[in-house]
Amino acid sequence: MRKLLKRPDLGIIIGCLFIFALFTLYDPAQWFNWGTVSNIGEYTAILGLLAIGQSFVVLIREIDLSVGSVYGIVGIAFVGLENNNVSDVLAFVLAMLLALLVGLVNAALVIRGKLSSMIVTLGGLFFYRGLIYIITHGAVTGVPQAVRQNWFAQLLGGHSLRIQNGFLLLLILGFLCAVTLHETRFGNHLLALGGDPASAESRGVPLGKVRTIAFALCSLFAGLSAIVTLTNDPETSVSLGTGMELEAIAAVVVGGTLLTGGRGTMLGTILGSFFLTAVRSEIIALGAPPSWYVSFVGIALLTLVTINTLLLKRLRISG
Amino acid sequence: MITGSDGQSRPAGSPKKPLISIKNVGLSYGNFQALTDVSVDFYQGELVGLVGDNGAGKTTLIRIISGIIPPTSGEVYFDGERIIKFHPKKAIDLGLECIQQAIGLCDNLSVGRNYFLGREPVRRILGLPFLDKKKIREASAKVVHDFGLRDSVDVDDEIALLSGGEKQTFKIARAVTFRNRVIIMDEPTNHLSVRERTRVNELAVQLKQQGLLVIYITHDIFQIHRIADRIVILENGRKVTDVPRDAMSAEALEGIIRDGSRTSTKEPKVS
Ligand SMILES: Nc1ncnc2c1ncn2[C@@H]1O[C@H](COP(=O)(O)OP(=O)(O)O)[C@@H](O)[C@H]1O
Ligand SMILES: [Mg+2]
Repeated sequence: MRKLLKRPDLGIIIGCLFIFALFTLYDPAQWFNWGTVSNIGEYTAILGLLAIGQSFVVLIREIDLSVGSVYGIVGIAFVGLENNNVSDVLAFVLAMLLALLVGLVNAALVIRGKLSSMIVTLGGLFFYRGLIYIITHGAVTGVPQAVRQNWFAQLLGGHSLRIQNGFLLLLILGFLCAVTLHETRFGNHLLALGGDPASAESRGVPLGKVRTIAFALCSLFAGLSAIVTLTNDPETSVSLGTGMELEAIAAVVVGGTLLTGGRGTMLGTILGSFFLTAVRSEIIALGAPPSWYVSFVGIALLTLVTINTLLLKRLRISG
Repeated sequence: MITGSDGQSRPAGSPKKPLISIKNVGLSYGNFQALTDVSVDFYQGELVGLVGDNGAGKTTLIRIISGIIPPTSGEVYFDGERIIKFHPKKAIDLGLECIQQAIGLCDNLSVGRNYFLGREPVRRILGLPFLDKKKIREASAKVVHDFGLRDSVDVDDEIALLSGGEKQTFKIARAVTFRNRVIIMDEPTNHLSVRERTRVNELAVQLKQQGLLVIYITHDIFQIHRIADRIVILENGRKVTDVPRDAMSAEALEGIIRDGSRTSTKEPKVS
């Protein structure tokens, strides 16, 4: 019990139970409809993958505002390669290498350039979005129909037992990342860096290496999220991923990860993604204009952060 | 006493090579000169008091020794070998541990994880390395017990729950149990109660008796004079005094610190 109360993600666990109960009582027909579940699963996977990557960066007191544009450019690179008869596995590998490169550039600018990650990745947000327009001249096509039937595209974008593979991928990778965060030396170093960089450094934690891996993971997850999106839903445009960086950060923070670093869980991040997605779906189902969702994200953010802060204070006082 | 070729004194009967040798080290933060031409040797098995007013450059000197910042000029030798690459990990690997007032513990991590931070034990499952949580828990619980911390301290709790004195004791305990060769303590008794202070000083003497080099930084000359073998005084980034404890009284040393700016950089003659 005491262990449960100390969890950083307690707020979002309660939040998810709350909306689950609310929607069950209020709108069961809509809520327990397979179409709804399926939609929520799909978008939770997309947002969740982005948010898991973002968690690594937020946990070390940094932020990555470039992920929406990285999501866009990696997705468009993937589609572009496929349309030029590059095999899908190779297209995937090349697109992910692009994501890795972006992450390494972000890390290098932050570490070697001693620039704030907010500035570096804000630059990235504009730069990569602009690059998409320059390369595509504003016109992009989707993933070719033939390619979508391939085993590889099905692996990322298809279904297993009616459940989206993307969602299963989110659960598997979320689990692996949680284990990495809490059960490995790297995870311990990451949390230490997020909690107190000077102390971590004095104990010999290789700060540069940990930061580099965190930024690389963040971009890789953004790229993976884009490819999962496109193998499932071939529609695409030059605005692919616009605004998703803020949604991902919101999911991370709603999920109980402190923006000041060092405290958070992957479960919280996944639940945060689910929470935002489920409520969006319900808002649309209720016939409210989808734009209400944007205001809702703001309200959810403030409410859950307040709850988390209160829980944390209580914890610090009671010991 | 023997006076070395470089004019530094060291205990008679120990014609050993210095464990740490600082030669003509200078350091500037931007265009502020924090250390100027500092040369000092440290030997195994001695407790050296590094004393000086606030801002004298004591912390800066030990930040260089513990690999956090490289000197702007001069050389540092460890066990006769010149240090080229300055990195905290390297200093730790050489067996040098620095205990600083505000640094060394991550408040968001558990007591056990702080104990092993940077040298976490792992065990392999399916060939993959995972934290050995059982070992982390047991080893840190033993240290908490052996060093007389509260029994209510749970090593799975965040270390933020410990008091200042408990944290300081814990840092020293960590330094001791990892079999180091050099322990540097930077103002280890600030903000501690009288009893906790006595405890820390006892620990410092014990470490020296076990053959370690202990560098003890303080601005309280009377406290350190009681336990040190040798006193080194820094003033405005320069070494102004380097004498065996018995060569000067605490009052005389205090006079040097007080009138620091008027004292020449020449060392008192000891023969
Ligand atoms: N990171 C830094 N940047 C600039 N000046 C510094 C820095 N650290 C210390 N100083 C300055 O260097 C001088 C020596 O500081 P320090 O070594 O901490 O002294 P002490 O530990 O003896 O009190 C002080 O004047 C201090 O203001
Ligand atoms: Mg100091």
